[in-house]
Amino acid sequence: MLPRLAVLLAALLSLRPGSDAHGTELPSPPSVWFEAEFFHHILHWTPIPNQSESTFYEVELLRYGIEHWKLIPTCGQTLMLSCDLTAVTLDLYHSSGYRARVRAVNSTQHSNWTVTNTRFSVDEVTLTVGSVKLEIHNGLILGRIQPPRPKMAPAGVTYESIFSHFREYEIAIRKVPENFTFTHEKLKHENFSLQTSGEVGEFCIKVKPSISSRTNKGMWSKEECISLTRQYFTVTNIIIIFAFVLLSGALACCLALQLYVRHRRKLPSVLLFKKPSPFILGSQPPCPETQDTIHPLDEEAFLKVSPELRNLDLHGSTDSGFGSNKPSLQTEEPQFLLSDPHPQANRTLGSGEPPELGDSCGSDSSNSTDSGICLQERSLSPGTRPVWEQQVGSDSRDQDDSGIGLVQNSEGQAGDTQGGPALDHSSPPETEVPGEEDPAAVAFRGYLRQTRCTEEKATKTGCLEEESPLTDGLGPKFRACLDDEEGWHPPALAKGYLKQDPLEMTLASSGAPTGQWNQPTEEWSLLALSNCGDLGTSDWSFAHNLASLGCLAAQGGLLGSFNSDLVTLPLISSLHSNE
Amino acid sequence: MKLQCVSLWLLGTMLILCFVDSRSLRKCLISTDMHHVEESFQEIKRAIQAKDIFPNVTILSTLETLQSIKPLDVCCVTKNLLAFYVDRVFKDHQEPHPQILRKISSIANSFLYMQKTLRQCQEQRQCHCRQEATNVTRVIHDNYDQLEARSAAIKSLGELDVFLAWIDKNHEVTSSA
Repeated sequence: MLPRLAVLLAALLSLRPGSDAHGTELPSPPSVWFEAEFFHHILHWTPIPNQSESTFYEVELLRYGIEHWKLIPTCGQTLMLSCDLTAVTLDLYHSSGYRARVRAVNSTQHSNWTVTNTRFSVDEVTLTVGSVKLEIHNGLILGRIQPPRPKMAPAGVTYESIFSHFREYEIAIRKVPENFTFTHEKLKHENFSLQTSGEVGEFCIKVKPSISSRTNKGMWSKEECISLTRQYFTVTNIIIIFAFVLLSGALACCLALQLYVRHRRKLPSVLLFKKPSPFILGSQPPCPETQDTIHPLDEEAFLKVSPELRNLDLHGSTDSGFGSNKPSLQTEEPQFLLSDPHPQANRTLGSGEPPELGDSCGSDSSNSTDSGICLQERSLSPGTRPVWEQQVGSDSRDQDDSGIGLVQNSEGQAGDTQGGPALDHSSPPETEVPGEEDPAAVAFRGYLRQTRCTEEKATKTGCLEEESPLTDGLGPKFRACLDDEEGWHPPALAKGYLKQDPLEMTLASSGAPTGQWNQPTEEWSLLALSNCGDLGTSDWSFAHNLASLGCLAAQGGLLGSFNSDLVTLPLISSLHSNE
Repeated sequence: MKLQCVSLWLLGTMLILCFVDSRSLRKCLISTDMHHVEESFQEIKRAIQAKDIFPNVTILSTLETLQSIKPLDVCCVTKNLLAFYVDRVFKDHQEPHPQILRKISSIANSFLYMQKTLRQCQEQRQCHCRQEATNVTRVIHDNYDQLEARSAAIKSLGELDVFLAWIDKNHEVTSSA
């Protein structure tokens, strides 16, 4: 009985599952797997239960389809649960793969082998990134992704060489303060730039690599952070500021130059003139002004002429233009009537009498030394027709001047320069003129017929007052009142004659007087000024004066001189006659 | 004149490229979506390869086989291998699990599509099978025959990634991510 029980007990004990020093009762590791990165292949396994201190594990490796299992000595003899098999799996990326197996071993036993479930191949490598470098350039974040560079990789074998195409990186950006994350952006290259559109702050970036033609998994890289601050002194800003400064400097220089050029400076003293230029010829003497300068003419010529002329009875207006009573005198040169040195006396003569033209012209003028033309009108309206009267000027004037003057027939007095009603008007100027001329009466050359404008008219712009320069030195009493055109004013007709400078006065006063004379001339048709009738307009320009002179010249001696209105050059007239 | 020169140059380049490519039929399978196939395989890889109990035996990745095939033979070998899988491997394998069966079916359909694409390519160019290509095909078939059909089928399915990698390398297939 007892032996049978002992045998049964021994059998039961032997069947008991338990550790056996001579058997393979050790449990094998439950699972074995590879965890691999680029050239970093680690074999992992789970420990066996009830692991004792003396338990270690053995690893064997098999190159798929080619070799037998090979024991890896570096992985054994420890309690580690992983082993680096990179060195023995360098050919992973060009081969079909590896299989590995692990078993637990203790002092007496060893377990069964546990094999990896899958063939360890390139597809099981997890992709990683070596590093991400960030830098700021011109407000942009520039990033550079560095692939892994393992030490175990053989020479010449790089991440880019094995995975040559379709490398991609997923990027995740996080802005630190707001914790806003932006992902799902795929980069196709290792170099990238990030535009923050003006935002400032700290940006943290991480990337996850992948191969688009493969099913390899990727691992997120470590986060790299960079701070972006607002830059005020960028290159662009500095260039703009510099250009602006240059431009403003240039503008300022130009403005300064312009101001300097246009700045009014004082004329050098040499160029300063007190009086206006003496070459102004067109101006008429102002009404009230007196003329100081008298340009001497060739007295001798006048001396020659004047005696002849004196003898002539010029009252008949020998000038053809004037329709003189005495045709014989037509060829005569226009004579200038002397201005009456005594205007008052003259006034009386012509003040109240209607101008009646007759032959009285000549009679009265005989007294004066100058030979003037006496314009006569057959029919005269009272006071309408100025009568050319030979006027007797002062003694001083007798000799040399030859002027044209309108003499009132009715007056016909010698010595009275002003005739007719016109004299009334002209008396004031007459008074002025002779008075003024006395001192200057030495060497006058001609007489300006002076027209006395009415007071109203005097104020009008037609007056010659504007043209002062010329008249200063001459007998300025001549007043060109253009308004006379409308209605002639017999009194407006000059009664007196101012001693005039033949050179200047003719030019100066030719305009105005002619204007005044227009009416009478037309009426009388004595003057052949019809062509030049317009010359007497208000235009006092020199050109007109010249034109008037020209007209006068064309007319012939008397007419020419007459036209100039007083200012005609006696010399010219004389010349004409000579010719 | 310039336009004519450029067009002539382009024509010459195209002719040269076509001449070069006609030998390898490298561009025949460009339109195939290999990525889909690879993804499908990855999902069943663990299950399939775990059933492989003969790790030291290989069918496709013997030392002298796929690695050493020359470009001229790529067309012939591709054609033969596709036929091998469609005619023998997929037929011999009995998959109990529906999810895995689904994936295997999608892979098989992709292979059928690839066969059709390759056939069209063949009609335009010549896909002669040289002796070396025939030898490689025969070795593979011999390897397959050394194992039991079910085990061989499992093993061949487990080695699909080798075959797909080889196609990527030799046919320059662009993947659609």
